[in-house]
Amino acid sequence: METTATTHLPSDYLPILIQFAAALGFVIFAIVVTHLIGPKRHSKVKDAAWECGVESVGNARTPVSYKYFMTAILFVIFDVEVIFLYPWAVNFRGLGMEGFIQMIVFMTMLMLGFYYVIKKGILKWE
Amino acid sequence: MNEIPEVIRTIPLQYYLFFSSTLFVIGIIGVLTRRNAIIIFMCIELMLNAVNLLLTAFSAYRSDANGQVFVFFIMAVAAAEVCVGLAIIVMIYRNLRSTDINILSNLKW
Amino acid sequence: MNSIILLTSFGILNLFIGFSKSKKIIMPLVLLFLAIVFVVNLTGWNDTQTYFERMLTIDNFAIAFTAVVVLTTILVLPFSQSYIDQQNDSLAEYYSLLLFSLVGAIMMVAYENLLMLFVGIEILSISMYILAGSDKKNLKSNEAGLKYFLMGSFATGILLFGIVLIYGATGTFYISEISSAATAQSNNELTSPLLGMGLLFTLIGISFKVSAAPFHFWTPDVYEGTPTFFMAFMSTVVKAAGFAGFYKLMSVSFAGAQNIWFPTLIAMAVVTLAIGNIGAVAQNSFKRMMAYSSISHAGYLMIALLSFNDRSENAIFFYSLAYSVSTVAALGILKLVADQRDDVSYNAFNGLGRTNPLLAAVMTISMCSLAGIPLTGGFFGKLFIFSAALEQELLWLIIVAILMAAVGFYYYFRVIIAMYMREPSGDRVPVGSVATFALIFMTVLTFVLGIAPGLLSNIL
Repeated sequence: METTATTHLPSDYLPILIQFAAALGFVIFAIVVTHLIGPKRHSKVKDAAWECGVESVGNARTPVSYKYFMTAILFVIFDVEVIFLYPWAVNFRGLGMEGFIQMIVFMTMLMLGFYYVIKKGILKWE
Repeated sequence: MNEIPEVIRTIPLQYYLFFSSTLFVIGIIGVLTRRNAIIIFMCIELMLNAVNLLLTAFSAYRSDANGQVFVFFIMAVAAAEVCVGLAIIVMIYRNLRSTDINILSNLKW
Repeated sequence: MNSIILLTSFGILNLFIGFSKSKKIIMPLVLLFLAIVFVVNLTGWNDTQTYFERMLTIDNFAIAFTAVVVLTTILVLPFSQSYIDQQNDSLAEYYSLLLFSLVGAIMMVAYENLLMLFVGIEILSISMYILAGSDKKNLKSNEAGLKYFLMGSFATGILLFGIVLIYGATGTFYISEISSAATAQSNNELTSPLLGMGLLFTLIGISFKVSAAPFHFWTPDVYEGTPTFFMAFMSTVVKAAGFAGFYKLMSVSFAGAQNIWFPTLIAMAVVTLAIGNIGAVAQNSFKRMMAYSSISHAGYLMIALLSFNDRSENAIFFYSLAYSVSTVAALGILKLVADQRDDVSYNAFNGLGRTNPLLAAVMTISMCSLAGIPLTGGFFGKLFIFSAALEQELLWLIIVAILMAAVGFYYYFRVIIAMYMREPSGDRVPVGSVATFALIFMTVLTFVLGIAPGLLSNIL
């Protein structure tokens, strides 16, 4: 097994390239051909945006509410902290009690931040 | 299953170096030529990710975990930067209704 | 280390104190916190400790610079009185960000591993991005925030690329181990291109942060747009911590590879001095002049960086202390005056000598100190830097610096002329009692540094 791992040459990746070209080629082929051979009929109903059968309302390019944005920002922060949890969890036994206490301190800081955010009213939706 | 560092090492180190440098340069060119604050910001993220990739490659080649730990810190710091940066950009958008940096010319010498 | 823990907990505590109704209690509490940190920090003197697998070393160097940045913050705080009077909603957050950014500053002066340098720089910078744009309705402040953010994170990217290349060449992030690798390589005349590029990128990244030319372009714009209170913090704490970190990197890691970076840094020092001083002459706005002045002081500090002997550490320490005290005094007065007269140009100071003799006197002394007149701290700061450079036989560099210091007289003295020789452009400027005390303290400190420099000139 070790021998195969070290003998990859750039030419070994040729099948991937061929596969890639084939996939791309098929997509382009399908798009072009359907455009050419498909019938084109326009009507008001047919050109309208289809939204699960419900009549569509307004423009799709309207500004998104500020609330979504705040939630997204909070998500980014709290989401990324997990990368520190992952290596800790892998080495949980090796790090022992000291590592556990350190992680508790870390999570406490995070939770204090979370509590602060909630208390500040950022997650209040009116 | 091979160890992941071994898999990384099957590709010569120069390839990682050239690839990361190319990404990094694309990021720099983007920062210097684009005029939209959000796109500039994305280019900066691209620079950081080029750095992450190179760190991982070096780390695997030297069998030294320090480089990968550094990547975690870069990711965490980049997330903090994203939050602050997006908040600043939104603040400007609310005041000016635009994120084009050419509008920002109040401060000149 | 204790000061890092204390500052972090105080910062978090302070965020929650901010939920209380009364805004008056916050500033005295923060001053108390900082005083505790200052004392706790000094108790570690002569007792070198390492933490986090040798990633942080709290030695006398770190303690001295921590003392400078904490003291500067204590002296800046009284000038936030107007925020308290206006019942600013974000007051507690501002103070907490200042406390958190101090943590970053301490990490920058105590680091032993490039990871800590990076995290320290980022903690400091991210707090500063927020504070630069903290005046949310003011377009100039918005613009300053965005410019600082984009430039700062761009510089971070470059710095990181440099760190990675150094790691690739040497296989370590510890600055002492990088040193042996760098020395070995440059002795063999086989300087690894990776190491050379890494050093170059790191230099560019840090020069961005300490606003050394030719990477200074953001400085005047950002400083002008930033609220004056935070500018006082930015132009002192960031610079002191930045140069301490810069010096540590160069002296510990790349002392052996001196032939690679020495010419580059000399050129940068000359350009920084020229751009800072000549740019400052052209300004009509006092605030913008102070921004250029901070660039020119970065130039003087770079000379200390270049001289590179046992004196330069002390010279950087003494210079940053003297510079920080005078700059905080000058910008504090600007804040008080601009709040009342709504103007940051030289004209705002017209006739201040008649309406507020105390403010005018303090301003005069701090301008003299910045210009480097004898009997003030700034004079001995420059003297120590020049004498350190003289040992390194950098005579022509000293002559350039002295010429540029002479240019400095022109723009520093313009304020003094405006204060004493023009008709008053407004009424008496109200000054709070804490701010008065801080101003008097800074004046006394400037004189102490200028009359008895021996007290602090040889402590490192």
